[in-house]
Amino acid sequence: MQSESARVTTAQEAKYRVQYPNSQRRAVKVIALDPPSAQMIDELAKKEWNGATFFRALSFASDAEPGKTNAGLNAWLNDLAGRALDLVSEVASSDFIVVVSAAGEDARSVSVIADACTAHHKTLVALVVPGEGASDADVSASMSHLRPYARMLVIAHDADYITAMLTALRA
Amino acid sequence: MPLTLRKRAGERRKGRMFMLRKEQNDYLTQTDPGTPMGDLFRCYWMPALLSEELPEADCPPVRLKLLGERLVAFRDSEGKLGLIDEFCAHRGVSLWFGRNEECGLRCPYHGWKFDVTGQCVDVPSEPAESGYAKKVKLKSYPLIEKGGVLWTYMGPPEKQPPEPEYEFCTVPLNQTFMTKRLQESNWLQAMEGGIDSSHVSFLHRGDLSTDPLFKGAAGNKYNMQDLSPVFEVTESDGGLLIGARRNAEDDQYYWRITPWVMPCYTGVPPRGDHPMHGHFWVPIDDHSCWAWSYDYHPTRALTDHEVDSMKAGKGIHVRYVPGTYRPLANKDNDYLMDREAQKAGRTFSGVEGIGMQDASLQESMGPICDRTKENLVGTDNGIIMARHRLMRSAKALAEKGVIPPGVDPEHHKVRQAALLLPRDVQYKDGAKEALKAKKGVRQTSV
Ligand code: FES
Ligand SMILES: [Fe+2]
Repeated sequence: MQSESARVTTAQEAKYRVQYPNSQRRAVKVIALDPPSAQMIDELAKKEWNGATFFRALSFASDAEPGKTNAGLNAWLNDLAGRALDLVSEVASSDFIVVVSAAGEDARSVSVIADACTAHHKTLVALVVPGEGASDADVSASMSHLRPYARMLVIAHDADYITAMLTALRA
Repeated sequence: MPLTLRKRAGERRKGRMFMLRKEQNDYLTQTDPGTPMGDLFRCYWMPALLSEELPEADCPPVRLKLLGERLVAFRDSEGKLGLIDEFCAHRGVSLWFGRNEECGLRCPYHGWKFDVTGQCVDVPSEPAESGYAKKVKLKSYPLIEKGGVLWTYMGPPEKQPPEPEYEFCTVPLNQTFMTKRLQESNWLQAMEGGIDSSHVSFLHRGDLSTDPLFKGAAGNKYNMQDLSPVFEVTESDGGLLIGARRNAEDDQYYWRITPWVMPCYTGVPPRGDHPMHGHFWVPIDDHSCWAWSYDYHPTRALTDHEVDSMKAGKGIHVRYVPGTYRPLANKDNDYLMDREAQKAGRTFSGVEGIGMQDASLQESMGPICDRTKENLVGTDNGIIMARHRLMRSAKALAEKGVIPPGVDPEHHKVRQAALLLPRDVQYKDGAKEALKAKKGVRQTSV
C-alpha cells in the first residue's frame, strides 16, 4: 500500500491546501534614521502597502540634538507629513520595527528606538543602504553602530531591496 | 461606480497581501529550457554525476535528467566523457540500452552509433561513403571530471566559463568525499534550507552532541547556550554571506558564517577540526532535485573513521535504497518516522539523520512550495535576499546578457567559518581571511 507521505506530497494533493488568509495584517513601522534614508522612505511610502507606515527619527528632523538620548522617549518620530509622534506609543502599536540607515550617516537615534522596542518586546530589523560613494569604512561604522540593537542586520546594496524585503514581510 | 472603485482597491490590496506572488514563485522555481531561471542555471558548471557512476572506459551508460532535459552519459573506449540526448535520432529508443563499444554508444535497435559529442558516426543501413551519418548529431554538453565529480555546462558553447574552483574539488582526492541523494521536491525549497540558519537549533538539535561528524567541537556549547542567534546578511561577489552571532565569554561573539554562491551552492560553518561540508542543489525537473553533499578537509586526509561515518550516512550524508541514490528513509516509508524518538527528544522531528530531517520536511511542502502563503519574519532575510538576487540576476541576464554572480571561478573560493571575534569587530573585517579558500591553510573553526 502506498504510504501516506507518498500520497500527500503529489502536485495533485497540493491543490487541497486550505485556501484562506492564514495571518492578519501586521503593523510594520519603517523609520529613517537620517536625511538620505528619509528621502528613500518618502519614495517608498508612495507605493501601496499592506499597512506599513513610514517615519523619520526626529533626531535630525527637528532641532533635537542628534543622538541626544536623554531628550527622552517623547515625540521622537515625525510622520511624513511632519507631525511629531510619540515614539513609545508608535512602537507599542507596531508588530515590528524596521530602521533604515544610509551608510556613514549618523545612526545614533537607533538606541532610543531600540529601547522602546525592548520595553515593548518588538523585533528590530536594521537595513544599511550603502548608497553611491559610501566607503567600506562608512558601512562598517554604520554596522557597528546598529549591531547591538538589531535582531537582523542587512546590508542592502541595491535600493530595490527595501521594497523587496517589505513585500516579503507582507508589510 | 463606487462599487467598481472599491473592487479595484480590493484587488490591489489582495496582490499586496501575498508575500511572493505566484508569478514570482513560478519564475524562481522553473528551470526547463527557455525559462528565465533555466537560462540562469545554464550559465554555470553544475555537478551532473559522481565519478563512481562512470568508473571506467566502456562501462555501462547512465541515464540522467538535468534542468528538465533527459540525457545519457558514458565514458568511451578511450576514457572520454560524453553527455548527450538520451534518445536515438533514428526512431527514439533510449540509448541507455546502448552498447558502449569502440568509441561510441551504439543503439541496440538498428545499430546507429554516436560518439561523445553526439555526432552520429555509423548508420549501418546506409553506405559509409554516402556521408549520411555526418548529417545526424544529437545534442551534447561538455562533461569534465574534477574532485570526484563529473560536471556539465548546459549553456551556449561560446559562453562556457572556466572550470569550477570550489575548494572541495581542488584538494587531493583523499581529502574530499562527495555523495548525492535524490530529493523529491523543487530545488529552491531545498536550497533555502541551506541558508536558513535559524532552523538548526530546532530541527537538528539532537545531532550536535551525538553525530560523529559534529560532536566534540568547542564551539558547540555556544549553539546550545544561545538558541536565538542574531543575524547579519551581506552580499558577496558570488552571492551572500549569512552570519549568525551568539554571545560568548570575554566580550566576544561566536560567529557562524554560511556562504551562498549563486545559484545553488551552500556551505555549512565548520565545527572543530571536523571536515567542512555543504551542498549543491541541482534541479532535475521542477518537482525534484539532486542534493549533493560534500565533506572535505583543506589540509589533511580524511580519516578512515570519518569516511566510514560518511558512508554510513552520518553527518549530512544518508543511507540509500541499495543500488540507488534514493535515501533509505523516503516518502514511501514515511521517512521511518519514529514517534518514540521524537517524544523522548532523541530527534526533534522523529526522523533520523540531518540530511533526511531536512529532506522530509522540504518534501512535505509539496513538489513546489506555495510561497504565497508564507509568513516570513525578520530573521528570514537571508532567504529573502537570495530570492531577490536570483530574480534580479535572471532578469539582468535575460534583458542585458549580464553574466550572473557565481560564474567567475574566483567567486567559488569562499569558505564557511566559525570563529570568536571581539564584539566591536565586524565579521566582514574580522573574518575576512577566514572566508577565503587558501591552499594548505586550515579552516577557521572552533
Ligand atoms: S516553524 Fe518554520 S515552517 Fe513551521
Ligand atoms: Fe538542516
